[in-house]
This record gives sequence, structure tokens and C-alpha cells, in this order.
Amino acid sequence: MLFPTIEFAIFFPIVLALSWALMPRQQIWKPFIVVASYVFYAAADPRFCLLLAAITLVSQLAVVAIHRTEDERLRKWFTAGGVVFDLGILAVFKYYGFFVSDVSDVLDSIHLGMPLPLVTIALPIGVSFFSFQAVTYVVDVKRRQTEPASLLDAAIYLSFFPHLVAGPIVRASEFLPQLKKPRDPDRVAVGAGLTLIALGLIKKVMIADYLAREVVDKVFAVPQAYSAPDAILAAYAYAAQIFCDFSGYTDMAIGLALLMGFVFPQNFNSPYRATGFRDFWRRWHMTLSRFLRDYLYIPLGGNRKGRVRTYINLMLTMALGGLWHGAAWNFVAWGAYQGTGLSAEHAINGRLGRIFPGWLRWFVTFNLIVVGWILFRSTDLSLFGDYMSALVRSGPATLYSVPVVGAILLVIGLQLLPERPMEGIELRLGRLRPLLLGAALAVVVLIVGATVPSQGVPPFIYFRF
Amino acid sequence: MAKAPEQFETIAEMEAEARPGREGEPHGDDSLMGRFDRWDLRRFTGWDAVKAVALTTFLLLIFAGGSVHKAADELKPGLGRDIVKAVAGPAGWISDQLPLADTRRDLTSWLSPDQQLTGQGFRAAPGGAGRPTTQVPTTPQPLDRLLVTGDSLSTPLDIEIARKLADQGASVEVTRDPHLATGISNTGLVDWGQLSSSQAANDDPDAVVLFIGANEGYPMPGPNGQQVSCCGPAWEAIFQSRVGQMMDNYLQGGVQRIYWLTVPTQRDPARKPIADDVNQAVRAAAAERGAAVRVVDLIPTFTPGDRYRDSIDIDGKQTIVRESDGIHLNEDGSSVAADLVLQAVDRDFDY
Repeated sequence: MLFPTIEFAIFFPIVLALSWALMPRQQIWKPFIVVASYVFYAAADPRFCLLLAAITLVSQLAVVAIHRTEDERLRKWFTAGGVVFDLGILAVFKYYGFFVSDVSDVLDSIHLGMPLPLVTIALPIGVSFFSFQAVTYVVDVKRRQTEPASLLDAAIYLSFFPHLVAGPIVRASEFLPQLKKPRDPDRVAVGAGLTLIALGLIKKVMIADYLAREVVDKVFAVPQAYSAPDAILAAYAYAAQIFCDFSGYTDMAIGLALLMGFVFPQNFNSPYRATGFRDFWRRWHMTLSRFLRDYLYIPLGGNRKGRVRTYINLMLTMALGGLWHGAAWNFVAWGAYQGTGLSAEHAINGRLGRIFPGWLRWFVTFNLIVVGWILFRSTDLSLFGDYMSALVRSGPATLYSVPVVGAILLVIGLQLLPERPMEGIELRLGRLRPLLLGAALAVVVLIVGATVPSQGVPPFIYFRF
Repeated sequence: MAKAPEQFETIAEMEAEARPGREGEPHGDDSLMGRFDRWDLRRFTGWDAVKAVALTTFLLLIFAGGSVHKAADELKPGLGRDIVKAVAGPAGWISDQLPLADTRRDLTSWLSPDQQLTGQGFRAAPGGAGRPTTQVPTTPQPLDRLLVTGDSLSTPLDIEIARKLADQGASVEVTRDPHLATGISNTGLVDWGQLSSSQAANDDPDAVVLFIGANEGYPMPGPNGQQVSCCGPAWEAIFQSRVGQMMDNYLQGGVQRIYWLTVPTQRDPARKPIADDVNQAVRAAAAERGAAVRVVDLIPTFTPGDRYRDSIDIDGKQTIVRESDGIHLNEDGSSVAADLVLQAVDRDFDY
């Protein structure tokens, strides 16, 4: 079930009302919210509910086993077992096809090939997100940063529908404490929740999908048919599209959770304001970057084992982070590109800030990030080559229009504005009366709905990940 | 002692204060879980949230209740669709009793990126309408504009065709116009009778590539107005009539050739009777229109013997050509299908 659909518009008001009605009776509310979340997930494919249940059960078993022993060796083994299972599910469902088609070609060429059946495996929606959350649960308990929860609480944590299919990646230590007692029904950020839902809808349907339809999909489908002016426009348009698509989803997820009394971590913080790669990753998909930092980069040794190991760790972390986005070489290359940027920055070690002014660092960073997005959007590396050729091909501009250029400037420009005016707007909207905001949300939905083409609303980009 | 919210200059400052500190780490904790507390926004109740969402739902119901039915048509058959359909009846009725839906349409229609294409584009009865005699050039003609359209089956075929033409250096303008979740037997979302006329007029293509058939099997009105269910000769005859009307719409709109792809066998055996009727209807309608319509048969290539398979031999290597749903072609499969289409196009056009 997707957020901007009629099914969800029927599902959510019922669940919200029942949730607040049952909230004081936690012994009823908890099973109810698990069932509601599984119904939400079953709308995509009921069979995948078994997968979600299996990850929950095995992670819980691992966590209980870890907690019950003081033997560090056993704790490590139980942790490894839980993590291998969670990531194994991800590997089988997400990377099997990639392995048998692409990786096995490489292995064949060095006579290490193995006969594996060529079958297609359906990608369960959200598996990348809930498997990572399961990993945080197991590892946080091993690190004694979180106490084991009951099976019911663990099931709520992993299946809670606002974050189930595309994050944000909420840590067990952030979510489980919110289940310890009923959410306070007198302290709900209704205004902020409704504002975020409306903002998310506008970002997704009116900006991201519009830019995709008018520019991005056309040029990235056949870059050979376009020249530099259109290719440049499409690259910036994609930067705006992917931000609005993913942060729009996140806004809706956070807003829905707020209406239910829960708080999720922030996932975006004006990423195109960044003045370096490290700064970018503190602002872009923040819950993924901190996952990669805390559960991969630091366990690999981080920056504690010398300069060369730091670069290797950065490259490995980012390449695997790239692969997390999809089973294709272009994502690995994109991750390696980010790792190279981070390593280069690390090597310069802050000297850039002393040599170059802030605006120049921003300009260079932003354009390097946009080049990275071209790699990310290209479905294969040859397409990336075609796109780079288009960037230097002379020819006419055919896709420029006031709404397109305006939308790109709006998305990027708003992130560059001083923070205070934007925060002021959010604060004022968040303080309006809920009924007024409810009516305003209806107006937004009607306007947004009118801009949907007959082809419908395309899925969120991150649903494929 | 913690500062009060109004003592902070900016929210960023408040968040920095609220952030759990990890001194010495290069990357602080970004979770910012306390940011809504610090914004001083939690001053409403859970029931305020319920009332606000209920008001939103009510307003949507009276202004756009009729859309629920259309949304139900887009869903896959199952419990979810049944529930939405159950809501669609009363929602549509309430919306119909009030003039607000028309007001909403009048106020927002200018925002719509495309025209409404639902309605009565097909004649109800099969046969009897008289077919245009299409003059087909006997020598290859220049190809300036090619339209690739259909339901979700038509993408990424459309991209593969466009890329292959671009790689050949052909200056053919390829218009890609997929209409996901639509079907010829279901006019609720898009009426292909209207859409085909509109595409011929607006896009002015020299040739059309059509790949459609993933969402068929809906009951259609028969010659006497009665609903005819899939599958069987009666349903196939109505479907053939609709396919024929689409072909005529394109040809009368100036299209020189139509390349219509058959639907390869799907994994789910329950879908086989539908695909068989669809393919048979397409073949029969094409045969009636002679060389103006070429059927590009994908079955011998992708599912020889009418037996479903995930992979086929491409250049001596077994390659997966289907998506995991067992219906659509993936990129490799679409590339093979694009080659078959372009082989057919090569016979009729210079580019």
C-alpha cells in the first residue's frame, strides 16, 4: 500500500481513530498495531508478511540469547547468527538475480563459476529497510545500548507501517523506548504532522513527478538523442526530483507517525546546502549514513587504523552503501564515487576551508553531487557514458520551460535560504488549529490530485531499494 | 539548566542543544528525536488528529467521491480492491448528490496534464462497422515519427526501441506513451478507443508500436448491451472489434503501419485463457487489415511451445528476460523484443 493512494486514504483514518481509542489499553493496542501494519504490508503481497515475521522472530531469538549470556564469545556468535540471517534474507531476495547474471559472469571468466538456477525472485517491498532495522536491534543489544524488547514490541518496531517500506531507518534505541508507555494523547504534534503530509504530497506529485515526466525520463531514456543544454537541465532536474521524491516520502512518514504520537528521526537537512561530501552525507538520507557509520565503517576500524585503512574503509562502506540502493554496477560505482570524494576530503583534512571561500566549496560540491546523480540514475554504465557524451554535444535546448526551470530553482534555492525564515514558516503552520489544517490538507490533496496524469502516480524511487 | 524554546535564536540551535552529544566523534548523532518537543508543538490531542483527518476525508469524499471507483479499477483483483469498490459505491453516490464535484473539476481542470480519456470511445457491438481500405505503400517510406504505446508491457520496450534507433544514428522522433494499469477491455481508467484517435491526431506518427494485454479479461458490453465475461468466443469477438477499431483510428489518423506485439505466455496458468483470446483477437483484426498491420509474435521467441520460462538463450548464454511478476519483460527481454520490432519496421521504412 502506498501513501498517496485511495486504499491508504481509507486505511489510515480508521487505523488512526482505533489507535487513539485503544492507546490506553496497551495489551489491545499493541496486537492491533501489529495487525494493522501487516495488513498494510500485505496489500503489496501477502506472502512477504511471512518474511517480515521470520526476520522478527529470528532477530528476537538472537536478542534474547545475547541478553541471557555473559560469555562474550557466545554473544558474538549469537549476534553473527542474527545479522547473517537478516542480511541473508536481503541478499537472497535483492541480490540473487544480480549474482547469477552479472557476478557469475566475472567468476566464470576466472574459472570459478558455479551452476546456479536462473530464476527471477520478487523483491519484497521495504526489505532493505526492515532488514537494516533488525540489524540495529541485534547489534544494539549486543553492544548493551538497548534492552531486549518483548516479541510484541519487536514486531511493532520492525513492522510499524509509517516507516515499513522506505524508512527512515529508525534505530531500536530510538523506537523501543516510545513503546514503554502509551503515547501521551494530550501532547500530539498534529499541526506539524499534517503540514509534513501536505508538504510531502506536494514534493512528490507536483515537483518530483512533474520533473520526471517533462525532462528527466525523456533524457535519461535516450541521452544519445539530446545535446548539452537538455542533458545539463535533466541532470539538475534529477537532483531536484530525487530530493523531492525521497524527502517527500520521508515527510509523509514522519507526519503520519506524529499523528499517531510517535517521533521518527530526521532524514534530510537541506542536503544541497552542503559544502563538502562529508557535509552532504550529514544532510542526505541521514538515517542511512549513520547506519553505515555505526554498523559498518566504525566496526571496520573507521579512521583508527591509519590513513590507508581509513580510505579503504571509506571506499568499502560507500561502495556497499551504493549496492544497498540496488543490485547493479552503477550503484556500486556511485558508492565508490562518493567514497572517493570522502577520501579526498579526508586527505585534504580541512585545508579546503582555509583556501577556498564557502560559496566556491558549495558550488563545486553541488555539481559533483549532481554528476554522482547521473551515475545513480543511469541504469547501466554504458548509459552513463552516453549521458556524459550528451553533456558535451552541441545542439539546441528543447526541454526548457518556465515551470521546469522554476521548479528546479525553487527546490535548490529554498535549501540555500537562511534557516530562520523557513523554520518560522514551519513553526507558524505547525501551530494552526488542527481542523483548519485538516481542511487545508484536503485542498492540497485535491490540487495535487488534479495534476496527476492518466498514467497515475509513479512509485517512489526508494521503493525499488 | 535547559533553555526555554524562546531563548534560542534558531531551531537549528535548539536541535544542537537537544542532540545527544558524543564528544570527539567526527559525526554527531543526527537522530534529532527531540526536535518536535523543542518546537513546543505538542499542544493538541490525539482526538484532534483524528478529527482533522476525518475532516480531510469528508471533504475529499464530497468533492471527489467519484474518483474512488476509478481508483478501484486500477487495483489488482483481490480483497483490497473489493474493499475500495465497496467504499466507491456510497462515496460516488454522496458526491453525485452534491454539485461540489463539478465545482472542483471546473476549478482544477486547468492543472490536469492531459485530457480526460474515459468514456465511450468504442462502439458497443462487434463487427458491422465497415473497415477503411488502407492503401499501403509498396516501397519503404521515410520514418520521421514513431509512437510506442500500450500498457505497462510497453515499457521499457519503448526505451529500448528509442535507444536502438539513436544508436543507429536514425533521426526518428520516438514518442513514448505508456498508460500503466490500463486495458482495452476496461474503459474506466483510459478508453483506448478515444486514446488511439487522440494519439493519432496529437502525435501524428508515421508508425505505431503497440504492446498491451497485461490487464485484460474484464467483462465488456455485448451487441445487446449485456455484459460478456472472459473468456470465450463471444468475449474474443468483442475484444477483436475493439482492437480493430483502435487499428482503424490509427490508420484513419494518418498512421501508415501498425506493429502489434502478442502477449507472451505468463507464469500464472490462470492468465493463459485471457492471453490466448487477446492474441487471437489481435491476429484476426490484423488479418482483416492486410499489410497495414503487422503482428510481431513474441511467443516463439520468449515462450516457445506456449510454455512459460524466465530465461531464454541470447547469443549462446541463458539470460533472464522476464520480471519477477512473470508477466512483464525485463530490460534484456525488452531489448530482444525491440530487435524483433525493428526487423519488422526495417521492411517498411527507411530511416
